[in-house]
Amino acid sequence: MNTRAAKPLILSLLVVAVLVFPLEVTSNYWLNLVNLSISFSIACLGLNIVLGYAGQLSLAQAAFWGVGAYTSALLTTRLGWPVWPCMLIAFIVAGLFGVCLGIPTLKLTGHYLAMTTIGFGIILQLILINAIWLTGGSDGITKIPSPWLGSLELKDPSTFFYVAAFSLLLLTWASIRLKDSRVGRAFLAVQGNEMAAETMGIDTTLYKIMAFALSAAYGGYGGALFAHSGSHYISPDTFSFDQSVVLLAMAVLGGNGSAIGAIVGATLLTLLPEVLRFLKDSYMMVYAAGIVAVMIFMPGGIAGLVKGLPFALRLRAWWNAGSAATQQVAVSVATRDGVGGRPIPAKVASGAGSNGTLLSVKDLAKHFGGLKAVDGVDMEVRRGEIQALIGPNGSGKTTILNMLSGLYVPTAGEISLEGTVITGRKPHIITAHGMARTFQNIRLFGELTVLNNVLIGQHCHSKAGLVPSVVQPPSQQGEETGMRKKALEMLEFVGLRGKEFAQANSLPYGQQRLLELARALASDPKILLLDEPAAGLNANETEVLIDLLFQIRDQGITILLVEHDMSLVMNVSDHITVLNFGKKIAEGAAEAIEKNQEVIDAYLGTEVGNA
Amino acid sequence: MDLSTNFQMLTAGLAMGSIYALVALGFVLIFNAVGVVNFAQGEFVMVPAFVAVWLMDMLKIPFPLTYVITVIFMGVFGIVFQRIAYYPLRNRTFLPVIIATIGVSIFLKNAAQMVFGAEPFLMHRPTPPDVLNLAGVFIDPQYIVIIVCTLALLAFQYFFFEKTSLGKKMQATAQDKDMARLLGIRVATMIAITFAYSSILGAAAGILVGPIFYVTKEMGGMLGLKAFCSTIIGGFGSVPGAILGGIFLGVIEVFAAFYISSGYRDAFAFIMLILVLLFRPQGFFGEKIAEKA
Amino acid sequence: MLKVQGIETWYGAIQALKGVSLEVKQGEIVALLGANGAGKSTTIKTITGMLKPAKGTIEFQGQKITGRDVEDIAEAGIACVPEGRHIFPGLSVIDNLMLGATPRKNPSRADLDRDLERVFHLFPILQEFRDRLGWQLSGGQQQMLAIGRGLMSAAKLLLLDEPSLGLAPVLVQEVFKVIKEINKAGTTILLVEQNARMALLIANRGYVLETGKMSLTDTAANLLANEDMKAHYLGAHAHVKEARQRRLNERPSA
Repeated sequence: MNTRAAKPLILSLLVVAVLVFPLEVTSNYWLNLVNLSISFSIACLGLNIVLGYAGQLSLAQAAFWGVGAYTSALLTTRLGWPVWPCMLIAFIVAGLFGVCLGIPTLKLTGHYLAMTTIGFGIILQLILINAIWLTGGSDGITKIPSPWLGSLELKDPSTFFYVAAFSLLLLTWASIRLKDSRVGRAFLAVQGNEMAAETMGIDTTLYKIMAFALSAAYGGYGGALFAHSGSHYISPDTFSFDQSVVLLAMAVLGGNGSAIGAIVGATLLTLLPEVLRFLKDSYMMVYAAGIVAVMIFMPGGIAGLVKGLPFALRLRAWWNAGSAATQQVAVSVATRDGVGGRPIPAKVASGAGSNGTLLSVKDLAKHFGGLKAVDGVDMEVRRGEIQALIGPNGSGKTTILNMLSGLYVPTAGEISLEGTVITGRKPHIITAHGMARTFQNIRLFGELTVLNNVLIGQHCHSKAGLVPSVVQPPSQQGEETGMRKKALEMLEFVGLRGKEFAQANSLPYGQQRLLELARALASDPKILLLDEPAAGLNANETEVLIDLLFQIRDQGITILLVEHDMSLVMNVSDHITVLNFGKKIAEGAAEAIEKNQEVIDAYLGTEVGNA
Repeated sequence: MDLSTNFQMLTAGLAMGSIYALVALGFVLIFNAVGVVNFAQGEFVMVPAFVAVWLMDMLKIPFPLTYVITVIFMGVFGIVFQRIAYYPLRNRTFLPVIIATIGVSIFLKNAAQMVFGAEPFLMHRPTPPDVLNLAGVFIDPQYIVIIVCTLALLAFQYFFFEKTSLGKKMQATAQDKDMARLLGIRVATMIAITFAYSSILGAAAGILVGPIFYVTKEMGGMLGLKAFCSTIIGGFGSVPGAILGGIFLGVIEVFAAFYISSGYRDAFAFIMLILVLLFRPQGFFGEKIAEKA
Repeated sequence: MLKVQGIETWYGAIQALKGVSLEVKQGEIVALLGANGAGKSTTIKTITGMLKPAKGTIEFQGQKITGRDVEDIAEAGIACVPEGRHIFPGLSVIDNLMLGATPRKNPSRADLDRDLERVFHLFPILQEFRDRLGWQLSGGQQQMLAIGRGLMSAAKLLLLDEPSLGLAPVLVQEVFKVIKEINKAGTTILLVEQNARMALLIANRGYVLETGKMSLTDTAANLLANEDMKAHYLGAHAHVKEARQRRLNERPSA
């Protein structure tokens, strides 16, 4: 059976399971618990998006759950509106609160981020308690109505179950679709390596806010479900920091990044207290000790554990092999030593035949406090050449690269690419203008597949936004297919074809460097900035790299590289610029540079004073 | 409002601020030594409070001896905590560590409940329960005890860190662990001592604040979070920052609760936190010293 | 005094040292040279124990120290002034210096005072600034403090990693003068330096590292005179030149 048929089959099975479930399980007690665990599951799915996908820790999820619950409860009890639209409004309102949390936390990471989300959650809870005129304060809200389906009031846990379960199916489907789409990949990139994501053309600000908004919206909807079921009563006590911790524990137990994991984690931790009732008082201690143990021994959660099992690996391989994208791409021409083959899609047109300056740097400077890392450097990179930027340790080479790619804002000076001034602009915008880079310490998205890494490289030249990424209309699918085709061509070019589905950090070092190159090339750059591309490569690998660089140049892409491996530099460069102490001390062709006394002195050192 | 009310509130604020400062110090010392934020720091206050109550109420041990035993107990507790909770996680990224220390916090809270039951306890006061009347200002003598004891503890700490060779080694370990090792400083021992001392700070806080609040399993929770806010407000990683941040927060809280709203009392710490992070993320006493060339 | 044989050290997935051997005899100044990324600092870190080698042995005064704890190696008599100085920013000059004496076993007050005097004699500015905090010193002063701290250990072997880095030329001159004096007074020195010429002016012998392997060793005088040294730094080896010529013949120019 191929994967195409599998998806509808699985879906039908799930639908049947949902329809049949309340007929099999008839105890109201257990059905209420199941409904509760679904409500938690949806909140955890939200947490999975912001934490599992985008890597932003949120300890405020219970507060959003509460915002959703209160929004829907208030609209239905105070204004008498019907339940269905109110649940939808709860989704949206919670999402807006999520935006409010996303904005101040943009520059925060680690424990600063954690504390801010905690604070946000606590403040929200205090508002729920104190704004008595709005929320009724600690008394809570009672007699929250049930939704109606036509003339049927969905009051029983068994009938409400359908609402909950189908909502869960829908939201899970959306989460899973999201992960393997342009937006999902952007989230994963932000988590994997934020700096690399920016330089790959991803507006990390936008995506972080989007992640918070989505996760809050999910949480809000889960809260609305909670409000309209069970005891039909909510009070502020439920939406506490402790509850956010429980939700976080559920998400982490299930496995960070896995939608199914989130559901498993939420269900387990909701139903477990029932099963472990005999433990009575010590239940919480066992639960807490369990959390610590999972963190120590199973940081990938249940999903992490399952993913490593042989049957799961086989399943994944079968799924990947049958996936639509791979089948649609023709196998390319055989390669020579794994290098070369299908050429990069022509970017040559605009530059063909025309020489002239592509990148122009005037009087560039970067001061860190009193330290003048770069002190007034002029440079020009001509279209279609390979230029090397060299100099001893601390001469300012990497600082210049960082200014060119937008990671540092220059203290002074101007940078223009093909006539457009790009000084001080954000990295993702510079990438969109046609400058791509690799990093000295490889900054791959290590946990992602090789293919996904290269797909992310194409982010700035693709379009699919949030809704198309989930719904996946034909236009989006067409875009995805095109992107995959191109990605495979890139991998072919650097010699990594056949490794598409390997995890990026499982590749040997040399191949990781090649992958980084493929990823940068995927963004269709006019100029490629390479930061020590040969670092850590052995002699063979360096040879392969040199060949690739020439082929890239032959395709019309200009290269600027920073490098310590002088044999590579001498071999490859059309033009060399030498820096020392933040200033340019020489430039020219290789033969001239190696004879230049100032350059020799810079590298070997000068005899200061007398011998 | 009249001067005497303000002065009363100031005293209360300084007292609470002293407690925040002690707990904040505990946070910062551990963080500087091992780079971990200990979300169970609040429980370092709750546990000794319960121990003290048990010793005084159940075993009827006189309070001076109780205090000594509690302090020693927490010293050992700190070392055990480091071994069991921190050590296995020392190479993990920050997310597992945060969740694990939160897990330890929950564990300790519920262990306390299991041993002592859910009823809140009242800790014996070492000071008389009557409020003092100093020239028309009414002050709870326990507040004065808290402020004085905290000052004494800080003085001792200053002396220890600045004037003894062991203290210097601990500072060195916190500032540059690898360099300390190259000098032959036994870094593992320094870390154990840091955890022990941090717990002792918690013991002091627990003993001092226990008589004012009810001793419950929840007493450490909000205290720990607010103390963490103080460290960020004062400048994360800075010892004077933690102390001044704590005192500042204590005072602000009391006045804000009185003049603005008492229902939102707990919110002010977090509002200040968010404001500081937005406008002056390095806190008031920034990371100047920590900036290496 | 120090014998390093066949060291292979890995940095994560990269093999930084691919079989490094060197020797430092008592009383010598030995220079360890090479381009950036060649593995000089990695070698130092392996000797001090900060990195554990996958293969190879290190012997100090006849005793095997491979794989031992950093603190133990310090106590055995090897002091290190690491790259980037690493003085304790929040402690005073005098505190930094006194901490340098930590590895010594029960030094007398008189011994410590005498050694402190010696450091102040070598670096008078440190005496003037004795109560200033580490972060308040300039780069050059921090370097002097770091060396002084290394001296306080009364170590038999002093490892200096890039002492000239980031220093103005005048200060570099002073620092190297001091290194020579320290050596005359009896301390054996292994000096890692990017400024090869300056290092060779004061060293007895030198080793040149290139991408994790020893590629050249000789007396300092011979190395200074060796035209080929340039090749090791500037990639102008004969085989590289051949490869370039071959490529130029094969491909049309851009």
